[in-house]
Parts: sequence; C-alpha cells; structure tokens
Amino acid sequence: MTIFTQLLINSITVGAVYGLVALGFNLTLRSARFFNLAHGTYCVIGGYGVYWISILLGLPIWLGVLFGIAAGAIIAYLSDILIFKPMRKQNATPMTLLVASIGLFTALQAIIAIFFSSQFQSLRPHNWNYDSYTILGATITPIQILIVLTTLITAAGLYAFLTYTTFGKAIKAISDDIDVARIVGINADKTISIVFAIGGAIAAVAGIFTGFDTGIMPISGLMLVLAGITSALIGGLGNYWSGLIGALIFGIVENFGVWFIGSEWRPTIVFSLLIVFLVFRPQGLFTQ
Amino acid sequence: MDYIVHLMIISSIWAILALSLNLIVGYTGLVSIAHAAFYGIGAYATAILTTSFGFGFASSLLIGVVVAMGVGLAMGLVLSKFSGDIYMIASTAFGVIAHNVFLSWDDVTNGAFGIAGVPRPTLFGTTLLENTHFLLLTLLLLLIIFLLTHIITKSSFGRVLKSIREDETAIQIFGYDTNWFKLAIFVIGAAIAAVAGSIYASYISFVDPIGFIVLEAVFILTVIVIGGLASNHGVIVGAVIFILLNELLRFIGLPDLIAGQMRQVIFGIILIALMMYRPQGLFGEYKL
Repeated sequence: MTIFTQLLINSITVGAVYGLVALGFNLTLRSARFFNLAHGTYCVIGGYGVYWISILLGLPIWLGVLFGIAAGAIIAYLSDILIFKPMRKQNATPMTLLVASIGLFTALQAIIAIFFSSQFQSLRPHNWNYDSYTILGATITPIQILIVLTTLITAAGLYAFLTYTTFGKAIKAISDDIDVARIVGINADKTISIVFAIGGAIAAVAGIFTGFDTGIMPISGLMLVLAGITSALIGGLGNYWSGLIGALIFGIVENFGVWFIGSEWRPTIVFSLLIVFLVFRPQGLFTQ
Repeated sequence: MDYIVHLMIISSIWAILALSLNLIVGYTGLVSIAHAAFYGIGAYATAILTTSFGFGFASSLLIGVVVAMGVGLAMGLVLSKFSGDIYMIASTAFGVIAHNVFLSWDDVTNGAFGIAGVPRPTLFGTTLLENTHFLLLTLLLLLIIFLLTHIITKSSFGRVLKSIREDETAIQIFGYDTNWFKLAIFVIGAAIAAVAGSIYASYISFVDPIGFIVLEAVFILTVIVIGGLASNHGVIVGAVIFILLNELLRFIGLPDLIAGQMRQVIFGIILIALMMYRPQGLFGEYKL
C-alpha cells in the first residue's frame, strides 16, 4: 500500500511537469499550427538558467528561477522572430516548420552542452532543507507540492488569461481561424510571437522543476518534448486542458511501469504508451 | 591515400543510408526519424553473429536485413496509418525505443559496452583487411543499392509513392491502398539501412548504442535534405558533403567532444537555413 501511494505521488509530480510541457506545446501548436520540437529545448534552457545563476554563480535561487524563465521566454520569442515568422510569411508547410524546429533543437542542445557540458546536473541548492511530509506511509517533499500547485495555478491562470483578457481572446481567435482573425484587425504574427514567449516561459518552468525533482541534462529536452507531445496526444491534440489529464496518465504509466519492469526500460515503457494510443485511439481520449 | 580511402568508405556507408531514407522521406513524403534503428539492427546483427556465432559477413548481413524488415514491418504497420506530423512523432518514438533496446538488452547487445572485435568480411577465401579492398566491396554494394533505388523510383510503384507524397487522398480515389505502399517502402528502406549497418560494423569492428541514437537519424535526414529530396544522385552528394564537413571540423583542431557538439550546431543551423531558404536542397525535386 505504501509503495502504491508513493508511486502515485511521484506519478502526479512528474505528470504535473509533463502537463506544463503539454500546455505550452498545445498553446503554440494551436496558434502557429506546427509541431515545435524545439519546445523541449526551452525547458532545458530554463533548467540551465537556474544552474548557471544559482549553482555556478551561487546567487539566490529565486533569481535563478526568474532568469531561467526569462531565458526560456526570450529564446522561444527569438526563435519565432528569427526562424518561424519569416517562414510563415513564405507560407511554409507545417512539415518544413517542423524540420526547421528539429534543426533548432539539435543546434541549441549542442550549444548548451558546449557551455555547461552534457553531464547530468541536479538543481537542488545544497542548503535546502529536506523536510518531507508523510501521507499514508509515503513521503512527499515540499518541492513536489510546489510542482503540483504551480501546474494547477499556471493552468488556471492561462484559462483566465485566454478567457477574460483581450489579448487572450486574440490568441483564441487566431487558433480558431487565422484569416478571420486578421480580417478583424488582429496582428496575427506579433501575437504568435508572444504566444511563443508564453509557451517558452511555461516550458522553462517545467525544465526547472525537472531539475529540482530529478536533475537535468541537455538531452533531457528530447524526452521532455516527447513526453509533452504524448500527453497532448493522449488528451487530444490542441486541447489545452485535456493535455493535463494525458500528462497524469503518462506519469502513472511511467512510474508504475518502471517499478514493475525496471528503470532501464523507461523510454520503451513510456513511448509504447504513445504507440498504443496512436493505434487504438489516435484522436486522444477527449476528442470525438 | 589511406585517409582518402577511409573517407570514401564512410561516405559510401552514409550514401547507402541516405538512399534508403530518401525512398521514405523524399519519394513518399513521410518524415521518419526511426532510421537509425535499422542501421543499428544491421550493425548489431553482423557484430553479434560474427563474434559469437561464427557467421560470415554475407550471411550476417542477410540475417540483419531480414530482422530489419521484420522490425520495419511491425513499426510500419503502425506508422502507415499516419502521415505528416504524427508520422514523424511516432517514428521518433520508435527510434527512442530502438536505442533503448540496444542499450538495455544486455544479454544480446552487451549494453553500453558494445561489441568489439567484429571481423572484416572474407570473400572467396581472402579476408578484406586492406581498406582498398574493403572500399571495393562497399562501392559494389553502393552501386547495387543505387541501381535498386533507381529502379524502384522509376517504376510504376515509385510513381504511386510520389503521388502519395503529392496528394494521398487523390490516389486513394483511384483505388490504390496507400497504406500498403507506405508500409512496403518503409520495409524496403529498413532493409537497405541494415546493409549500411552491416558494412559499418565490419569496417569499424566495434558497435555500441551511441552510434544509433535519435540524433543519428536526424543527421541522416539532414544529409538527404542537403543533397535534395527525391534525388538519388543528390543524396549521395549530400553524404559526401556531410562527411567532408565532419572532417573539416576535426582539422580545425577542436577537441573531439567539442567537435562532436560543433557538428551538431552546424548541421542544426544548416537544416534551419535549408528549410528557410531552399527546402528542396541542392538537387531536390520535392519540398517538404
């Protein structure tokens, strides 16, 4: 029973991280209309922002977190301004954009590795206390609680932003029909660039949490973006909120699968889940 | 001189890989990131069968091809239902799973340590210890595969593939079962990539999982995008350019680790630049 509760707690924690990735991924997918694989790199950039500021330079952790989030947002914004926006203007196909994002992902990952080495890094500062709470015999750390709360608050905040602000409504309009949005006077290209920044910031948070929870390395971006895409697919592509449920399912399969089969088979376990969904329910759980 | 022979052998191996992936990406319009899996299957088949079971090069190559076709069939049955983004994501998942199997199936692949001491091929009683002799064998196989891909792409079968690429729905209306064609070309591509793997294992005499990571599949994709999608001679030029650029980086005198990462940065940027300014590559007839 204890192990079951513990696995469930861990599932919810990683599910919350993947949920953040899926949230940002879906946001850019719906407005820019292509699969941005570089989304995983924005996560890693967030994590390494903290690593640089708080671990290497020894500055306060909140400063590192702010820097990491800002770095994720800025790099995501720049990647749209410099690469994807010019391609949009030439009516590039979604596949061309996707392949360009693979190139961006490959290049950025290597640049991070050149600066910070490709070693695995934990982002937990040494002076953090490790008080943990016990629920039904299982331990839960303050970081885990923070991760889950942040995901819920981010999701709620995003919902409020998209529903109640003019800018949020403009994003939704672009997602529904970009031509109509342009006709009613929305500056679609500028809006999409800002969507990239928002998505990049959310991704960076996910990367930072991954660093706190387990640790991060440059190649983690591939796993994170694939986890986010799988979560989004399980929930139904393009639906912001069902991606969170997809991420929870992903987290449960990952943790229980690893416990039953062994951690060396983690990639096989989680990506078999993607294959199973593609075979039996390619439209996702909540899409008709 | 020996150095040039070495470059020609490596280029030929990459040319075979590029020709095989070009059938799937260039001619059929399906972006697959699973290709390193089949390259790996061929390499591991030759490494395992020659070192542990006393097989010859030719028989190990044939068995590798058969195994790759079997695995390709299983993957293809899932992939062929899809196209575009989802095809690419699912193939990436398969690529990650394949690497995981190479790394973690210790009993068969010897895990992260890899398999050393793979012998050179013996033909008509002579072992091809001289690189020049090995080059002749490689060029012969490359020629056979070039002719094979030429025949495939110029045949009526090849024309169906191209029409799937241009408009899958339209060709379905004419009564073609496009899923079958997509499956068939995926399995053929898998078989040819396994040949490249066998040659590689026998030439380098060592096989380990790092050679078959997803990034390797991204490099093969980059090679065919540089050379030109749906151009058989173009992708051979792409392979040569790829190998020469790699060597150039080594000549600059960067440490091996940094050189590997610089290569990733450069090919990532090349991929982005091509997608932005010349998606059909040097000699290509098709844009993604």
